[in-house]
Amino acid sequence: MKLGNITFSKNVREDILELFGKSLDEEGFIVEKDDTSQRVLTPKGEEIHIDEWAGVVKGSEAFVKNDALSLIELAKKLE
Amino acid sequence: MNLILDKLKTIFHGKFDDILSNNNIKIFDFSKNTTNILEIKDGQKLDIDLGKANAEEKKLVKERIIDLMVQSENGAFLSADSFQKTKKIKSNLPTGEDEELLKFYKDKLKLEMYKALEASLVVRNAFKKGEEITDLKKDISKLYPTFGKNICNLVTREYFHTHFKDLYDSMIEDQDFDINLYQRKVEKIVQSLPYTVFVTRYRSYDDLSGEVRFKLEKLNKYGAGRLLLHGLGRENVSATLNLLEEYKDDKSITIQKELNPGGTIITATLIF
Repeated sequence: MKLGNITFSKNVREDILELFGKSLDEEGFIVEKDDTSQRVLTPKGEEIHIDEWAGVVKGSEAFVKNDALSLIELAKKLE
Repeated sequence: MNLILDKLKTIFHGKFDDILSNNNIKIFDFSKNTTNILEIKDGQKLDIDLGKANAEEKKLVKERIIDLMVQSENGAFLSADSFQKTKKIKSNLPTGEDEELLKFYKDKLKLEMYKALEASLVVRNAFKKGEEITDLKKDISKLYPTFGKNICNLVTREYFHTHFKDLYDSMIEDQDFDINLYQRKVEKIVQSLPYTVFVTRYRSYDDLSGEVRFKLEKLNKYGAGRLLLHGLGRENVSATLNLLEEYKDDKSITIQKELNPGGTIITATLIF
């Protein structure tokens, strides 16, 4: 996996989510836009608050969290 | 890199040819711009403001750039903060001796403790390079509130490179050895770090005795109520027993001792 050179800024996180067909629920968790009762989960099965969202990686649009442990797992897969 | 510029050209149909012909562009960031969809910042960053793009352009950017990068190019599409954090982590991942260390603990520690150890090694490597580690340490403490901060400190002080390895080597000699016993012992020591004195032959008896007295006074003041003494090896077990002797007549202190059958590992708790 590669890190790539395309990023997004904090102030457009919700616009990026929209591109992926996601939105936020009242508590700030990422949900499916067409079913807002359905929270999006990480590959480990964790719900993701917008403030904890790192981005998207390959694998059915896998959403990843931004804590050190999640990013270590990601970093280990990078070339 | 040119691939993305080429894709943008096909999406915006000549609208930004002057910008998209700039070969200095190295980074692409989805952001908010002041006037246009595309703006160059700092000479080499192209900011793309999809809020200013129409629905068709947004759709094409998603399909031709983001999906291409994430799915076909096997890349990660991250927020700028997470991008920097991941880069920093990648450059500090355990290698060489650290990898060997992780191999040693892989089947010995509980998964949570093992993951925290791995993360603490990243913190230690970053710290050695003089990099900012507050954010990483905070993450580990948040994920493992009972031992995260302590394991970072113990890894920095190399206790996992020496002490906990020696502890395993000593414990495995006991006939009734069980890996759960080792895991519990490590957890107890890590969780009690601020209330622990490691008895080691590299320190004089007077020095150790002074630390025990100092910590007891301090803990008494803050009401923590217990102090752990941990000694490994016959010499240190003996020193620990001598330290305990100093408090045997103190009625305000109760002493609990755990000594392995071989007499090579002692964990004593002074409760007050």
